[in-house]
Amino acid sequence: MSNFTKKQVSDLVKGSLDWDTLHMMLSMPKDKERYANYMSVLQDQVSWDDKIIMAFGPHLYLAETTADKTLVTKCSCGHDFGDYRTNWKLNALVYVRDDEEKMQEVYPKLMAPDTNWQVYREYYCPTCGVMHDIEAPTPWYPVIHDFQPDIPALFDWLDLPAPVNA
Amino acid sequence: MNQLTNPVEVLGIDAGGTMTDTFFVRADGEFVVGKAQSNINESQAVLESSTDALAHWDRKVEDVFPEMVTCVFSGTAMLNRVVGRKGLRTGLIVSKGFEDFHRMGRAIQSYLGYAFEDRIHLNTHRYDEPLVDIKDTRGVTERVDSQGNVVIAVRLHEAREAARELIEQGCQAIVISLLSSYLYEDHEKAVRDACKEVAREMGVDIPVFASVDYYPVRKESHRTNTTILEAYAAEPSRATLGTISDSMKAVGGQFDLRVMASHGGTISWKAKELARSLVSGPIGGVIGAKYLGEKLGYENIACSDIGGTSFDMALITKNNFAIHKDGDMARLVLSLPLVAMDTIGAGAGSFVRIDPHANAIKLGPDSAGYRVGTCWPEGGVDTVSVTDCHIILGYLNPENFLGGILELDVDRARREIKRQIADPLGLSVEDAAAGVIELLDLSLRQHLRAMITGKGYSPTDFVCFSYGGGGPVHAYGYTKGLGFKETIVPAWAAGFSAFGCATADFEYRYDKSVDIGITDESTQGEIADATTTLQAAWNELRDKVLEEFRINGFKDEEVTLTPGYSMQYLGQLNDLEIDSPLTVLSGAEDWDVLVQSFNDTYARVYADAARSPELGYGITGAIMRGSVVTKKPNIPEEPDAGPTPSEESRQGTRPFYYEKEWVDADIFKMELLQPGNEVKGPAVIESDATTYVVPPGFETFLDVNRLFHLIESK
Repeated sequence: MSNFTKKQVSDLVKGSLDWDTLHMMLSMPKDKERYANYMSVLQDQVSWDDKIIMAFGPHLYLAETTADKTLVTKCSCGHDFGDYRTNWKLNALVYVRDDEEKMQEVYPKLMAPDTNWQVYREYYCPTCGVMHDIEAPTPWYPVIHDFQPDIPALFDWLDLPAPVNA
Repeated sequence: MNQLTNPVEVLGIDAGGTMTDTFFVRADGEFVVGKAQSNINESQAVLESSTDALAHWDRKVEDVFPEMVTCVFSGTAMLNRVVGRKGLRTGLIVSKGFEDFHRMGRAIQSYLGYAFEDRIHLNTHRYDEPLVDIKDTRGVTERVDSQGNVVIAVRLHEAREAARELIEQGCQAIVISLLSSYLYEDHEKAVRDACKEVAREMGVDIPVFASVDYYPVRKESHRTNTTILEAYAAEPSRATLGTISDSMKAVGGQFDLRVMASHGGTISWKAKELARSLVSGPIGGVIGAKYLGEKLGYENIACSDIGGTSFDMALITKNNFAIHKDGDMARLVLSLPLVAMDTIGAGAGSFVRIDPHANAIKLGPDSAGYRVGTCWPEGGVDTVSVTDCHIILGYLNPENFLGGILELDVDRARREIKRQIADPLGLSVEDAAAGVIELLDLSLRQHLRAMITGKGYSPTDFVCFSYGGGGPVHAYGYTKGLGFKETIVPAWAAGFSAFGCATADFEYRYDKSVDIGITDESTQGEIADATTTLQAAWNELRDKVLEEFRINGFKDEEVTLTPGYSMQYLGQLNDLEIDSPLTVLSGAEDWDVLVQSFNDTYARVYADAARSPELGYGITGAIMRGSVVTKKPNIPEEPDAGPTPSEESRQGTRPFYYEKEWVDADIFKMELLQPGNEVKGPAVIESDATTYVVPPGFETFLDVNRLFHLIESK
C-alpha cells in the first residue's frame, strides 16, 4: 500500500495535510509504518519520555511509564491521571454549567439546553489547565467513562509486541 | 496521388492534458495522426502537432490549411480552468434568502466522480470551493411560486444596488438565477436589464448572464451552476479559441473552427452556450463509432475506450446513443445534455498495490498517468503500474514505447514487481504480473457486461469497438467469453477520439422545461392547450438555434430543424427523449400522434409489457436541434492484398507470457499490414501510438476499411 512519510503524518495531526493526500489516506488500507509514525509524531509534541501508546484526545494520552512500565493516562504537560483502567475524569478538575447564566457564557440566549434536562461538565488538567473533555449528560448521570481500549487486541492487529502490563 | 485532386479536407484536434493529437483526413479517406506535447499556448501546440502529422505526407501547414474545409477542436483547458478554480471573478444575484444555496451545493456534489468504495465511505465526501464566493453573492427580493405565479414583485432598486456593489468589488461578470425563473422569466430579465444599465452608468463593459436566456430548465442548482460556468469558464475559453482560430487563419485556414459539445454535436467557438464544450474527450469516440457503424452497417455497438486512467463505455443501439439530460462534470450538477457514458477509474496506467490486510491485489483508483510506471525512472514513480506488468510480460515493446520517445528500464520494473507484488504474495514475478492483468481484464469485463445486461440487452446483439491508447492491448481480455458478435479495433485506435470529433454534426441543441400532464379525464380544450404550450416552447428554442447559426453566417433555410420532447407515463420518475414525428403541432388531434410515438419508443427501449399508460402522459421538456451539412472524413477503403502479411511487416518475435507459459509472439508493424492480411496469435501488432495484442487462441484480420477484427479461434 501507499507509504506515508512521518512529515505527512505530522501534517495530518496538525490538520495541514493537503486534501489529495488526505483523501488517499482515507481511501486506502493503513500502511504498516503508520502506527510507529503516528506515535513518533505525538511523542515529538511532548517533553516527557514515557512512551505514548495511544491518543485519547488532542492533549491526552495513554502512555507506558519508563520507571515501572505501568500504563497511565497522561496530559501533554506531563500530569499523571493514574492507571488507564480507572476513569481519568475522576482525577481531573471539573466545572459544571448547570444554570442559564453559565450556559449563556457559551451559547446565545434560548439556544442552550434547559439545565434541568442537560448540563455540561468540563474536565480540566489540574496542572496546566487545558480542557480535555466536555460531556453533556442529564444532571443526575454519573461521570462517563468514555472508553477503555483493548490493548492486547490492538497490538495483535498491529503485529507488534504488546506492553508488558497490558 | 495528385494533391490537387486529393486535398486534405478534415482536421480533428484532441488537446489533452499531456498530448495534443491532430487527425488529418484526405478526400480519399487516408489519414495521418500527429502528436505534440501540450502547451500553455494552445495554438502553438496545435500547429506543432499539425506539422508533425503532415510531415508523414511531406506537406507543410501553410499548404494544407488553405485547402481544408472543416476543423473540430476538443480540449481539456476549460475543464482544467473549472477544476483549478481559475475562472473569471463572477458575481451572482439570486432570490433574497437563497444566497447560500450555491456554496452549500447539492449533496451529490460531495462525492461525484468518486470510485464506488469512496462513495459509500462518508469520511471522504467533501465539497469543492464554490465557483462564486459568498462575498460576491447578492439577494434580490422577489418570488415566483412553483406554478409560475408572481408572489412578490421584484424590487429592482435592490438589483441595481447589488449590481453596483458587485462591480465595485471587482466582479468581471454577473450571473442572475432566480427561483422558478424557467416558469416566469420577466423577473430575471428585468434584473438583467437593470444590471446592464448600472454597468453602463458606471462606464464598465461586463457580460451579464440571466439563466432564462441560456438554460430555462427546472432544478435551480443545475441551472445556476451551468449559467455560472458560462461566465466563469466559457468566456475566458472563448478568448483562447479565438486565438487558435486566428492562428489558423494566419496560415491560410478558411474554415470556421468548431468545438465538440457534450450533446454529441459540434458548435462554433462563437456559440452563445459555450459551457457545453466543457467535456468532450471521451464523447468523440462514441460519435466516431456511431459514424463508422452507420457507414459500415453496424447498428448496435458497445463502445469501449481505455486510456491511461479510465475505462469509458457507451452503448449505441439502432444507431443512436442515449443522452443524459442533467449531466455532471467537474463535480458539478449541470443542466447540460450529455452523451450517456459509464466510466470506471481503472486504466492501462493504474497503480497496483497489495492490500496488507486482505493480502490481495488492489488496482487504482489513482494512476501513473503520463509518468507511466516504475519502468520509466525519470517519471519519478515508485509504485508499480499496470504498464509495468505489460512491459515485463512482453505485451509492450520497451524499445518502442510511444514511438520510442521514452527509454524504459525493464529490470527496474521487474525488481519493483518482485518486491511490491510477487514476494508478498509468494508468486513468481510473471504470475504476479499476469495476475494483475487478469484482474484488470476481469473487472473491465464485468463492468462492460453489467452495462449491457443492466439495460436489458445481451452482448450477442452487439459489436464491440475497442479504441483509445490502451484498448487494443486489452481488447481480447475484456471481451473474452462475453459473446459479442465481433470485436473491432480500428487501426487508428489511439486517434479515434480526434477522428470522432471530426465526424460530428454541426449541431445546436436547446432545451426548455415544460409541465404538461394529460389524463383520461382531460378535456379537448386542455389537450389543445398542451399542444400549444409545446409548440410555443419549440418556437422559442427554434429562434435560439437559428440565431446561433446566423452568427456563423448560415441562412435559416440551410438549417435542418428536429423538434423533440421528453415524455413519461404519469406517476413514473423517468422520461424518454424522442424526436417528434410532427414538426408543427396544430391542435388536440396531434396529441395522439405524440403519445403513439412515445409508446412505440418505450416498447423498443424497455418492453411492450412494461408500458403503463393508466394514469396518463406527461411532457417534461421541449427540445430543438438544428444542424447544417458539414464535410466529414471519408473512411479509408483499400484493395484486398490477400491473407499473408508482407515480409517487411514482420519484425521478428518476442517472448510473451500467457496462461502460465512463455511463448514466442510474432511481431508486426501495424502500418505495414495490408487489408486482407490474417494474423494468428500469439502475435503483437505495434504502431507508434498503440499496441494490438493477439494472444494464443485468437486470430485477427484487417479489412478493407483498416479495421482489425478480433476472433476467438478455439
